[in-house]
Amino acid sequence: MRPLDEKETTAVFEKIFKFTGNNLKNIVENPSHEGPDKEPGRYCFRLHKNKVYYVSDSLVKRATNVARTKLASIGTCVGRFTHGGNFHLTIECLNLLAANAKHKVWLKPTSEMSFLYANHVLKGGLGRITESIAPGDGVVVFSMSDLPLGFGVAAKSTQDCRKLDPNAIVVLHQADIGEYLRMENQHEQIIEE
Amino acid sequence: MEMETETQKPFQVDMGNLLAFNPFHNFPSLPTSRDELVKECIQEGTKLVQAIADSIFNLPSTEDADGPLVKLPTPTTKLPREKHLPKPKPPTKWEEFAKKKGIKKRKKDKVVWDEQTGTWKRRFGYDRVNDDKDIPIIEAKMTDEPGVDPFAKRQDDKKKRVEKQEKNRLQNLKQAAKIGALPSHVQLAATALPITGTQAPPKKVTKDELGNVAGMAATSTASGGKFDRKLPGEKPAKKQGKHRKFLPVVEGSGIGSREKEQTENVLNKLISKHSHEILNVDKAVTMYNVKKEKKARNKRNQEGKSSSATNKLKPKKQLHKKNGKKGPGSSKKGKAK
Repeated sequence: MRPLDEKETTAVFEKIFKFTGNNLKNIVENPSHEGPDKEPGRYCFRLHKNKVYYVSDSLVKRATNVARTKLASIGTCVGRFTHGGNFHLTIECLNLLAANAKHKVWLKPTSEMSFLYANHVLKGGLGRITESIAPGDGVVVFSMSDLPLGFGVAAKSTQDCRKLDPNAIVVLHQADIGEYLRMENQHEQIIEE
Repeated sequence: MEMETETQKPFQVDMGNLLAFNPFHNFPSLPTSRDELVKECIQEGTKLVQAIADSIFNLPSTEDADGPLVKLPTPTTKLPREKHLPKPKPPTKWEEFAKKKGIKKRKKDKVVWDEQTGTWKRRFGYDRVNDDKDIPIIEAKMTDEPGVDPFAKRQDDKKKRVEKQEKNRLQNLKQAAKIGALPSHVQLAATALPITGTQAPPKKVTKDELGNVAGMAATSTASGGKFDRKLPGEKPAKKQGKHRKFLPVVEGSGIGSREKEQTENVLNKLISKHSHEILNVDKAVTMYNVKKEKKARNKRNQEGKSSSATNKLKPKKQLHKKNGKKGPGSSKKGKAK
């Protein structure tokens, strides 16, 4: 477990910035009320075995007691660094993104299941969409009852969406909460390791 | 060589080389230890140096700002040559051929009379006689191939001749280097030549590269060069390896100030990079349009108010409200349908 260096911090922030915009500041300066300390601490990003965790500092302090090899996970896993050095967000960071999302998409109840099976969001399944989305922006996907389902990348801008063929892809799938079931084994393996 | 006659033991002094000898010196008894020998030698040497100093002050001197100046006579002692005499160069291919055929070198004038311009011009080099540039017309011959530019061909031929001569020169140099008839500096250049002519000459190792290699070798020990004995005057290794250093996991109470600073730096950079995106033109335009519509509607409404009777306001107000809700609602939510 170690803090991110400058290059890594930039990579992580840039990726989250795509989803949250200037709300990234809220994520970084979020006060934490965990631990025995009276005054609130902060959250910080820690790298452990290629994975980036969003942890309160009091938890980091206590986690230093655990040997590096024995430490399976701490705090919230935000994403991981690939072997090539790219940063990928994982589904565990969904709550963080959903609370601070800049661009949102609401799905019709009929197309929710399709998205939860890792399919892209089609125009036909779109319930609502926020304004001023540009292609390439990070988008958080909600159900009509405002339950965050996952996130992805916008393939079309909001304006283009208005006059689009219903089978056209609007949001490219990146992660969804269905992964918790579909990839249960992988997550277990990681913890066992 | 001058003989010192004043002292009973005459020294031979060569003023040109500032040398003095004592050919008549004899040890009365062989010195027993090395120390004594050194002592005696120093004593004898002092006498010789004194003899040189004496004879220098006997020479006619001129006064200068720094003191008296003396011009030394030409040296008389012949010192041996440091390097051996250079070997004679082997004859080049052409020289061998010329000897066989009996061709003799003829002196040629450096300048030649140019009939075209009516001036004296150099035989070779810049602004020479019969320069390619000065030929405006080349007469066609029966042997000329159609489609070949005679001017380009002339230039090409010349280039080829020059290249051939360069090749011959290098070949001759190589032959001479084999025998060892080249001075050392030429030899270096000649041995660096490609052997077959197709290979590129080997690259010289630059000072920086050498430093890098030396640094790498110095740090390739178990301790990374830390505990190795340094040679006198050895400088620290030039190329230091890159050691990644990370901020401490926990610094003071929880998140450290340095980490905070780094995070803030990155965040500010990111936000300032995207600061130009704050103004969303599309959104601004729709907002402006909506406002304009509202204003127009209000105006219309007021006109209606003033014209119509006051007690008939109620239904109209409702109508306006309905309209107002519909307008911005559709644009804000941007229903994708």
